[in-house]
Amino acid sequence: MNGLETRRRPARVILWGALAAVLVLYGFPFVYLLLTSFKTPLDAIAVPPQVLPSQWTLDNYVAALSKEGVVPALINSVATAVLSTAFSLALGVPAAYAITRYRTPSGRIFVIAALVTRMVPTIAVGAPLVETMRRLGISDTTIGLAIAHTTISLPLSIWLMSSFFEAVPVELEEAAKVDGSDRLQAFRHVVLPVVSGGLAVTAIFAFLASWNEFLFALLLTSVRAQTTPIVIANFQTQFGLDWGGMTALSAVYSVPVILLTLALQRHIVAGLTLGAVKG
Amino acid sequence: MRLTDRRFALVLIAPAALFLAAFVAWPLLRFVSNAFYEISPIAGGPRRFVGFENFATAFAAPAFQGAALRTIVYTVIVVALEFTFGLAVALVFAALGSRSAVFRTVFMYPLMVAPVVAGLLWRFLLIDNFGILNELLRRAGLLHSTDQIAWLSNPKIALFSVALPDIWLTTSFITLVLFAGLQNVPGDVIEAARIDGVRFPTLLFRIILPLLRPVIAVALIVRGIDAARAFDIILIQTSGGPQDSTTTLSLLIYRTMTRNGDPGLASAMGTVYLIGMLVVAAVAIFAIWRPGGDQA
Repeated sequence: MNGLETRRRPARVILWGALAAVLVLYGFPFVYLLLTSFKTPLDAIAVPPQVLPSQWTLDNYVAALSKEGVVPALINSVATAVLSTAFSLALGVPAAYAITRYRTPSGRIFVIAALVTRMVPTIAVGAPLVETMRRLGISDTTIGLAIAHTTISLPLSIWLMSSFFEAVPVELEEAAKVDGSDRLQAFRHVVLPVVSGGLAVTAIFAFLASWNEFLFALLLTSVRAQTTPIVIANFQTQFGLDWGGMTALSAVYSVPVILLTLALQRHIVAGLTLGAVKG
Repeated sequence: MRLTDRRFALVLIAPAALFLAAFVAWPLLRFVSNAFYEISPIAGGPRRFVGFENFATAFAAPAFQGAALRTIVYTVIVVALEFTFGLAVALVFAALGSRSAVFRTVFMYPLMVAPVVAGLLWRFLLIDNFGILNELLRRAGLLHSTDQIAWLSNPKIALFSVALPDIWLTTSFITLVLFAGLQNVPGDVIEAARIDGVRFPTLLFRIILPLLRPVIAVALIVRGIDAARAFDIILIQTSGGPQDSTTTLSLLIYRTMTRNGDPGLASAMGTVYLIGMLVVAAVAIFAIWRPGGDQA
C-alpha cells in the first residue's frame, strides 16, 4: 500500500465524514434530476421547491418519449455513436500500432499533429465541415455526423491505443514471426488478442465522445439525423422549459451510460489515467 | 513484394492521417483562409478578399475583447477550483486506502453525463424562483430569502455560476488522475518524512506536489483546453447572457457565424482564438510538463 494511508482512528473518522459529505454534494444534483422526472408538471416548478415528489408518476417519461422526434433521435444517437466508434477503431488501432512498434519519423509527426487536433476549437472545424458534408452529399445524415465525431475520438483512440501497445513485449511478436507468421498475421493473431482490454476501453471512450457531443450535431444536422442532446436542448421553448420532460429524457439518456460505466469502472479508470500517469 | 518496416508503418498510419487531413486539417485551412475574405452568409454567395480587415475589426470590437477576457476568466475559475477540490478528494481517497474503491467509482459518474444535460440540470438547480439550491441554503439558514442570490441572472456572478456544472462534471477526472499519480509516490519517502516529524502542509507542498508535477501538468492542460472550448454547457444555461456576461469566445464566434451572418469576421475571431490556444498549450507543455525531462 501507500505511505499516504493513515491508520489513526480519529483521522480516519474525520476523513470518512468528509468523503460522505463530498459524495452527498456530488450525488445530489443527479438524484434530484431523477426525483424531478417522477414529479407532476406542477410539482416540478413548485415554489418553494420540494426535494421529493408529492405524487410519483411516469407521466413525464410517457410525454417525453411520445413527443415527435424523440425516439428517432435516440436511435440516431445510438447509430451515430456506434458508427463513429467503428471508424475510430478501424483507423486508430493500426495507426497506433505502427506508431508504437516502428517509431518512424512520419509516426512522430503524426502523433504531434493528432495532439494538436485536441486544441482546435470545435467551431473552427465544424463550420467548414457543413460545406464539406454538403459537397459529399451527406449533410444531415448519420454517417456525416459520425465522421465529424470521429475527428474528436480518433486522436483520443490513437493516444489510448498507443499506451496499450506500448505494454506488449516485442518478444511476443518476434516469437510469432519465428513460427512463420508475417507481420499482419502476428498483429492480428498475437498482438490484438493481448490488447483486447485496451480495445474495449478505447471503444467506450469513442462511444461516449459521440454520445455526449453537441456542437457538431447542432451544426451538421437539422431534422433527419438529429441526436438526443439537441432534442434535450429543444425542450426549451418560447414558453419556458418543460422541466418534467427534460429531466425524464435526460434520465433516459444518461442512466444507461452511467450504469455501463459503473459496471466497467476498472477499465475506465485505467483509460482515464493511462496517458497522464506515464508522464 | 515485401514491404520494408518503414513502408509497412506508413501503410498502417495512412488511413488515419488521410482522414484527419480531409476532415480536420482541410476544414481548418479553409476556416483560416475565410478570415481574409468578406463573405456573404448565403451559401455560395459572393466572397471578396479584404486582407487583414476582419482581424482589425475583431481586435477593435469590445465584444471580442470582452469575450476573450471572459474565456480566460472562465478557464481559470474552472481549472483552479477543479484542481483544488480534485486534489483534496484525491488525498482523502489516498488516506483512506483501498476501502474507498467503491466510492471512487461513485464519484466518477458525472464524467458520463452529457454537458447539455449537466448544463440544464444546474440551470434547474440555480434558477431564481424555484431553484433547489437557494431553497436548501435558506433552510440551512444561510440565506433569508430565496431570491437573495440570482445565480444566473446577475451579470456580476453569472460567469462563475455557469462554471459550476463544468466543475461538477469533470473534477472527477482530476481526482482520478491525481489519485493514480499518488499511488506512484514512493511510500518510503513519505514514511521517512513522517518520521522526521514533517507536518502535512510541508509534506504536501514540498514533497508530494513536486513529485506529481508531470501528472498535474497533464491534468491541467487537458482540462484547461476543454474549459477554454466550453460551448454547450454555457449556451444551454444562459445563451451568453445576461448582458453578454457569459459570452465566451466559442459563443461569440458561433453567434457571429450563424446569427449575425458574418462568416469572415467569425473566422478571423476563430483564428485568433486558435492561435491563442496553441501558444498557451505549447508554453504549458514545455514549461510545466517538460516531456522527457524529469520523469516521475
